Amino acid sequence: MKASEVMDTHPLTVKPDDTIACAAEFIMENRYRSLPVVDDNGCYLGMFGINCLLKHVIPKAVFAHGLNNVGFIHESFQELFDRFEEVKDEPVSICMSQEIHAISPDTPLTETMLQLYETRLSIPVTESDSCKLLGMISYFDVGEKILRAGNHKNA
Amino acid sequence: MHELHNPEVIFGLSPAWFAGSLFVITYLLIVTERLNRAIIAMMAAALMIVSGVLTQEAAVQGVDFNTIGLLTGMMIIVGITRDSGVFQYLAIRSAKIVKADPWGILVMLMLVTAFLSALLDNVTTVLLIAPITLLITDTLKINPYPYLFAEIFASNIGGTATLIGDPPNIMIGSATGLSYNDFLFNLAPISVFILLVTLIPIYLIWGRHLTADPKLINKVMLYRENDAIKDPVLLKKSLFVLSLVMLGFILGHDYGLMPATVAMFGAALLLALQCLPLKTEKQSAVVTKSLADVEWLTIFFFIGLFILVYGVETTGLLELLANQVLGLTGGDKTITALSIMVVSAVASAIVDNIPFVATMIPLIENMETSFGGSEQLVPIWWSLALGSCLGGNGSLVGASANLIVAGFAERSGQPIRFLPFMLLAFPMMLVSVLISAIYVYLRYF
Repeated sequence: MKASEVMDTHPLTVKPDDTIACAAEFIMENRYRSLPVVDDNGCYLGMFGINCLLKHVIPKAVFAHGLNNVGFIHESFQELFDRFEEVKDEPVSICMSQEIHAISPDTPLTETMLQLYETRLSIPVTESDSCKLLGMISYFDVGEKILRAGNHKNA
Repeated sequence: MHELHNPEVIFGLSPAWFAGSLFVITYLLIVTERLNRAIIAMMAAALMIVSGVLTQEAAVQGVDFNTIGLLTGMMIIVGITRDSGVFQYLAIRSAKIVKADPWGILVMLMLVTAFLSALLDNVTTVLLIAPITLLITDTLKINPYPYLFAEIFASNIGGTATLIGDPPNIMIGSATGLSYNDFLFNLAPISVFILLVTLIPIYLIWGRHLTADPKLINKVMLYRENDAIKDPVLLKKSLFVLSLVMLGFILGHDYGLMPATVAMFGAALLLALQCLPLKTEKQSAVVTKSLADVEWLTIFFFIGLFILVYGVETTGLLELLANQVLGLTGGDKTITALSIMVVSAVASAIVDNIPFVATMIPLIENMETSFGGSEQLVPIWWSLALGSCLGGNGSLVGASANLIVAGFAERSGQPIRFLPFMLLAFPMMLVSVLISAIYVYLRYF
């Protein structure tokens, strides 16, 4: 089995110049943890996800300056929103993670699963020799197929 | 004493020339920062032995294990204590005491930074105070630059005040036998005065313009400092051990207890208090983490430097240099002390003060006979301590704490640039050295 056999070939995507507010609404409505960012040519640029939103509503000092002790800050939803409002009209590109590397469609299934385990997010699949996004692989895509194999055996 | 190989020629050079050249090259490599300074120092130390300037036995004798033990012990204690959240507690509490007034916060954070730098170490202090500072300035929507600038000065001035505050003082104390109390009585008063004087230009340049929206001030007032204490039990244990260690520093000298013994005993006691309630496997994890928190790069840098400088010393080169210095100052103790202070300050602003002080110590020790005994050298030791510690304020590369604060400033979008910082910091540093020079002159001559 290869990555191409378990990927979703019609993933939802966002553009790098979509606003953070727009992308945030999209992932909240669909309950996604992250979405791939692609340009007009369908080239994979990075991932936009829930971590980006958290990063912008938590005080900047936590992520930018390594403040690991924040138990003394008690904020309301309004205060968190106020911080979100400062970046909501900025493009998704400022907040996109480029740490999640795409895999090729020929990647063996076990290696694909290891990548899923390590990144803890859906992983993009791109053409072997270009950045063109071919699909996405989530826990659910793989998990569903594993369970279905079990059902076949029991039947 | 050790036995020297005493080779006559090394790679075509006399031992003194070889050791001197190796020393200069090492210094240059440290300044260029092309290679990690710990690697450079260790390499230089190894070359001192390989070339035959020192035997391995002699090299070990050259290492000041009192300095190494004191640094390591304090690093372990501070590493454990910081997990309690006490640093954050102090920073928030001090901001709230002044009702979160922007100028008041600057003064309080400066005092807290100076106090903690004097009692612990200034790198850890700024590592923990700077993020809170940026959180507060971010909340108040005010420029963090004056706060970070003030904290750099406070950390170096605070570190000047005690034997354990800054590595140069640790080295001087260890080499001379001057006690914790000697440092406290001789350097703390002038450090407090310099800290207060430093507030004047900071107020005139930034302080009088600092204002914040009352709504935002209220947000800072809503921080619950008690919640910053993550582990109250650990806090109690840490404060107990820290108090014992401070007491050990103050009283130990009279009972022949060296600072390294006190710090190492404190570290072992705190580890024991932390591990006693835990199962064996968990104990290993706690000890491993605590030992990993020690800045081994600094420790190995010190070890390498001690061997390098000892190698140079054994060739008689430093004695020669000491005589040259005495020749330049006409053998006058006052001129020698004040010259050493100024040169140390300028040198420490430009290069790392640790190798500089490591070199100056044996050089000054060689002046003992000329000045009529070790007692006569005491004002010179204070001059070296004041110059090398305060000199760290002269530029952004003058002290490790400066670079750490600069890193925070960079990430906060308000970078501290080398030249603009130096244009203001260097004259301010010179003022502090001038005050120190007047103090040393009036008190000791």
